[in-house]
Amino acid sequence: MTERTAPTTDRHESKGETLTHTYEGMFLLDNEVVRKGWDEAKGLVTATLEKHGAQVQTARRWDERLLTYPIRGRRRATYLLTYFNAQGPEIENVRHDLDISEGVLRYLFLSVEEIPEAERGLSEAEGASDFVVPEPPTEDEPEPEPEAPAEEEAKAEGEPKAEAGAEEAKADEAKTEVKAEAEAAKPEEAAPEAAEAKPTETKDEEKAQ
Amino acid sequence: MNQRAPRKKIGGDVKGPLDYKDVETLMKFLGPQGQIVSRRRTGFQTQRQRELKKAIKRGRHLGLLPFVG
Repeated sequence: MTERTAPTTDRHESKGETLTHTYEGMFLLDNEVVRKGWDEAKGLVTATLEKHGAQVQTARRWDERLLTYPIRGRRRATYLLTYFNAQGPEIENVRHDLDISEGVLRYLFLSVEEIPEAERGLSEAEGASDFVVPEPPTEDEPEPEPEAPAEEEAKAEGEPKAEAGAEEAKADEAKTEVKAEAEAAKPEEAAPEAAEAKPTETKDEEKAQ
Repeated sequence: MNQRAPRKKIGGDVKGPLDYKDVETLMKFLGPQGQIVSRRRTGFQTQRQRELKKAIKRGRHLGLLPFVG
């Protein structure tokens, strides 16, 4: 019987050294925690990462939105997008801590080649003193409609109205033309009557004489 | 013979890598019940369809995309 031996090299190790990778981490934060303060909520994640030796490169609020299905009874949540350098085996420990954490509803780690250029700028912008993180809406509040489609709808609604308005204007013009013709015709019609009436008056006058 | 014209492939207009954060694009590849549409409809090759599948499943995990409906 042969003895089972542990693999000599770990997949995270190269020549005895543990490799460090760049990771993208997306965290779904509970809005209750976010309401207490964005820095606190962000610190909850970054502290967990740093506790296990990760170097957080960027961390920013990605979005706050309505979830497509309830997660832990929450219908809305805030997304935190981070990029960090960490050693492979430490990710498992981070996962364990996040599973216990009540403020983090879900998370996703992806290994990436490099940090996107735009991310650094966006993360720094969030760190600026004048940057204000909007307070998350309540669970019952309806999802605000996106602006662009609303404008398109308004345009789409506006076009038929404009067409209808033009048609109405044409119809009014046609009516006024008809009226003008009718008015123009009236004096002509009235004139023969008057012409006819005049001779009768003269006849009467003659009779009276 | 009266032959029906082939339907336009959904994936024809989508260029670049498929990312789970690009919810608007990924929603195009979900059917009315929330299922991932087939390669026949997307027009993707094997690798691209696999990339799509991964992106959608990541989006679903984070509550960005629906599992059903």
